Amino acid sequence: MQEITITGINSITYPRLEVWDWLIAMYLFLGGMAAGLMVLSAVSQFRAKGAELPKSSYIGPIMAPFILAIAMVFVFFDLSKKLSAFWFYLSFNVTSPMSWVGWTVGVSIVMSALWALASLPDKTGAKLKLTILNKLSTIRKPLAGINLTLGVMVGIGTGVLLSSFVARPLWNSPVLPILFLVSGISTGAALLILIEKDTEESLFFKKTDIALIAAEIVLIALFFYGHFTSTASHVEAIMPFFKGGYYFPFWIATLILAIALPLAIILEAAEVAGRVRLRIHLSAWLVLAAGLILRLSIVYAGQLSSIKPLAGF
Amino acid sequence: MPRYAMVIDRKRCIGCMACVTACKAENNIAEELYRTRVIEIVEGAFPNFRMELRPELCNHCENAPCVSSCPTGASHKRKDGIVMVHKNRCVGCKACLAACPYDARFIDTTSGAADKCTFCEHRIKDGKEPACVTTCLGKSRIFGDLDDPKSIVKKMLAENRTEVPIKKANTRPRVFYL
Repeated sequence: MQEITITGINSITYPRLEVWDWLIAMYLFLGGMAAGLMVLSAVSQFRAKGAELPKSSYIGPIMAPFILAIAMVFVFFDLSKKLSAFWFYLSFNVTSPMSWVGWTVGVSIVMSALWALASLPDKTGAKLKLTILNKLSTIRKPLAGINLTLGVMVGIGTGVLLSSFVARPLWNSPVLPILFLVSGISTGAALLILIEKDTEESLFFKKTDIALIAAEIVLIALFFYGHFTSTASHVEAIMPFFKGGYYFPFWIATLILAIALPLAIILEAAEVAGRVRLRIHLSAWLVLAAGLILRLSIVYAGQLSSIKPLAGF
Repeated sequence: MPRYAMVIDRKRCIGCMACVTACKAENNIAEELYRTRVIEIVEGAFPNFRMELRPELCNHCENAPCVSSCPTGASHKRKDGIVMVHKNRCVGCKACLAACPYDARFIDTTSGAADKCTFCEHRIKDGKEPACVTTCLGKSRIFGDLDDPKSIVKKMLAENRTEVPIKKANTRPRVFYL
């Protein structure tokens, strides 16, 4: 029998850490999605052969800065000292993932906005009558390259933000940044599928998404396997996803992911083969829902995990 | 430049909680928030049982994860080894709270900034010991300079086998337990 009495506890850290909630999960989801848009729209532009760019090549760059800005608004609302937020951009700490994320997203908003202006179709550009558009359109490809790189950084950053904490075993996995990058690009592809409808470009995104979802399933399995074969606190950290009772919401999340992701692959494969024609792109919605559930469950479950033993050292 | 450290002799702690109270009073900590705590662990059943009383506080780690995770440099390590927070520079992102393996930090509800033990640096400046050390009835908490050959801390570390909490985190704490 063990009886523990603590005098002087802070509710933010005991009985479990409660520092981040759905606001940060929304940042991770939207940040990943914007990263996906930046990466895939850049690929789409590099692939484009004719003078006319496909819809995703300019809708993606236009949406990316807005989604990133909304993502940053979620981070802003999470800050407990909002009026000091400007310090993010008056300092840089090379060892702090949060600092990297702040700067990368800030730079990405500016660069993707410039890229969006450079990628505007000629008709829309002519209506705006801005001379800068002509100059920007001449550097569209270099801007696409820069945005592709920044997209990868933003996508990985959402995972590194969590995986750098040794104190939280669930998050402390080298697989997490890659998992969030792949999942983020996959949600970006899902959004582009919803925008593109039935074109050749949409088919390309569906094929890409099938590969990305397959990779995501493998990475989720590796993420859990890595924990399962690690220390006792790592094993304990993944238990919410496999135990019912108190951890029921996490168990449901595992169940949804286990159904939604393979189902999305099957549906997309059927759509690519032309066997299924749904009025709504169910597969894309499944990918988006799975992306959000993955981030919500990882953010919340990570705060249940700790390397701190209550008794003894 | 001194290198401050604390030694906590668990056998001498009587669980009076004077340190918890003194810390709150000295540093004017808001209600229901604490910079130090005392954990009482009773294992086994009468008559075969053991009891441990363990005061805990910020470990002022040499390899402090709170400092490396801070995006603005608000959390910083002074040359004397004390980990401090520039309250005006803190944005309240809570990365340091997530990074600390010892759960030694919290958000000060008054300022919104991260808060933690400062080893009572304002008292050290005046040549006094931290409030928890001064008030400790059983002399369980001992504070001193690791670079001062005459300090009791230096002597205790040389003469005793000490432990640090969560050794696997490898943050090299400056609070040692006997």
